[in-house]
Amino acid sequence: MKPSRPAQPWWLLSPMLLALGIFFLYPLLSAFKTSFYEWDLLTPPRFVGLANYRAILASGELLSSLGTTLLVSVVVVTGSLVLGLALALAVHRPGRVAALARSAVFSAYVVSWVSVGLLFLWIFDADAGVVNRALAWLGMPGAKWLTSTTLAPLTVALIVIWKVTGYAMVVFLSGLSALPPEVSEAAALDGAGPVSRLRHVTLPLLRPTAAFVATTSLIASFQLFDVVRLLTQGGPVRSTTVLVYAIYEQLFRDLRVGRASALVVIFFVVLALLSWLKLRAFRAEEPA
Amino acid sequence: MDRRAFLLASAALSGTAAGCDGRAEPAGRLAVPFWFTYGGRNRATLEKLVARFNAAQNEIWIQAVFQGDYFEGLAKLRTALAARAAPPLSHVVGEVVPYLAAAGVLEPLDEYPGAHELALEPRLDQAGSFHGGAERPLVVLPFNRSTPIAYVNARLFGDREPPRTWDELRQTARQLTRSGCFGFGCPIDWWYWAALVGQAGGRVVEPDGRVTLGGAAGVAAIAFWQSLVQRGVMKQPPGRDYNAWEQLSQDFLAERVAMIWSSTAFVRYLEETADFPVRALPLPHGVRGSVPTGGTHFVLLKSAPRELKQAAWRFVRFLLEPEPAAFWSSETGYLPVTLAAAARLEASGFYAKHPNYRVALAQLPVAEPWPWSKGLFRIQREVVQPRLEAALLEHRDPERVLAEARALAEESAL
Repeated sequence: MKPSRPAQPWWLLSPMLLALGIFFLYPLLSAFKTSFYEWDLLTPPRFVGLANYRAILASGELLSSLGTTLLVSVVVVTGSLVLGLALALAVHRPGRVAALARSAVFSAYVVSWVSVGLLFLWIFDADAGVVNRALAWLGMPGAKWLTSTTLAPLTVALIVIWKVTGYAMVVFLSGLSALPPEVSEAAALDGAGPVSRLRHVTLPLLRPTAAFVATTSLIASFQLFDVVRLLTQGGPVRSTTVLVYAIYEQLFRDLRVGRASALVVIFFVVLALLSWLKLRAFRAEEPA
Repeated sequence: MDRRAFLLASAALSGTAAGCDGRAEPAGRLAVPFWFTYGGRNRATLEKLVARFNAAQNEIWIQAVFQGDYFEGLAKLRTALAARAAPPLSHVVGEVVPYLAAAGVLEPLDEYPGAHELALEPRLDQAGSFHGGAERPLVVLPFNRSTPIAYVNARLFGDREPPRTWDELRQTARQLTRSGCFGFGCPIDWWYWAALVGQAGGRVVEPDGRVTLGGAAGVAAIAFWQSLVQRGVMKQPPGRDYNAWEQLSQDFLAERVAMIWSSTAFVRYLEETADFPVRALPLPHGVRGSVPTGGTHFVLLKSAPRELKQAAWRFVRFLLEPEPAAFWSSETGYLPVTLAAAARLEASGFYAKHPNYRVALAQLPVAEPWPWSKGLFRIQREVVQPRLEAALLEHRDPERVLAEARALAEESAL
């Protein structure tokens, strides 16, 4: 459709541009400006140049929270991809049992993060939790799921996987349904077995779906906050302080608006970089 | 449009949300917002007192708005202050009072009618709560004040003697530990560490302002915790701040821990919820007896309109009258903050019937005031708290941990 006037597309886009300007661009620019100030919300802001960036680098806070976020993200993306695909393949069939399994797995996705947090607080309690009791029943030693600096970030990642796998499964199911059956049938006629068909036909055709699942899981793990707030409050010893939680702590716990803003700016750069890499990967796959 | 305008818009939105709860003031009354951070039973008790005040006169209507826990409430209050949309009345933890006073956001109360005739418990008013508090303009009044105390499961504790020293505490914890139940539990929290520092003969900040974090006493406090954890007789609850406190209460109630350190504010809750008799005990002595005070102080916010501040002051005066103050204390477990309220509880036989409520009061003679240090809350939240966790969970050398904390704390105190 050709616009009747040159300005027409802008008019049509204006509500969204306005919303993006107010709720995205303005806060981002404001955070960028504030990142050069020392400000506690109470006394007048003081220009400090790059001191906030230097402070979060020198304290090791940036690297540790970025490292934790990336660790959780890698585990979440890998886990949700593998589990989501496996479950989708298992329940991609007609019948009541498969339908029930699909609904049961997806139900976790619609539970609120707060309920998930409280639920897993009990499940992973070191002394009275279901997991450690089950391990004790099997004669195995329990673990400090939430109070060990090594295990706590992995526990958080496991919980996120539990929550988002249902969504990954549904997306893979829609991807499987969209695959032309004749391709698989042709491979079968050529003598390809189920494993070979999965490996050489189904999985390559599901690559765009997998890329979508990876992106949504990555976003979910980068936005992680609620479950950390409820389960560990960033601890023990900052081992679950992901980037968003670090921003929250700087702003609301420590009254350091400038440092929180510096973290916001860095967070934005990291996300922009990841999005750029993802776009590049997508474009590289497109036929010339 | 500057950041203030943006914050104002945010605060206006939250104010609108708060105003949607159907508690609009009756016609002709002056509505006075009061931001509070008491949950559960304590919240219900406060709301009873608010209703009583609102019913007792026809000029002022207190609108009590719940704002989460102490630290969430403080974060909201600061945002509202920045947006010049703060309520006239709220309450804040002691550690942040010097900072707020230095920022000039607290209303001086000296000139308010009767401000110096309230006959407050001397260990809990501004002068008693802070070193140097008497020499500064009056900016806070106590209401929900507390000290840490010990709670024991009387069924498991039996007729043992209460532990009076650290060694006896260690021994009792060992005796009470059995399969599925730790003998002792304590949140790895600044407040309890400060109690141990005092008991070991140190101070977090010296009266001259030097941040020593207790010196050798600070190290001894951490080492004491470490020894209890290493022997498997002390439970460290997961989580931080009040999440850890709440978790420990649940462990105590479920008989997974036989003896805990917690605030006197939980007396009523634990007594009513436990399936077993609960006994409160004073904290043991190290080289001396010492407990920090906790809870919060009332503050009037300078930025509020004058008539709202004056109306809020009338409400504060009402709460500090003997009957409401005694009611608040007896319904919650917080300390009675006026001498008249304490005398009323004593005379009515309340303490004779409920001795657990008297434990914190009896500890007040050894209560250690907080330093009037602007950086105190940062020392607490940023410097000490995370390092206590590191020392306990990563078995780090307490001396090195505190030396590192001291260097950072000196910076924060400036």
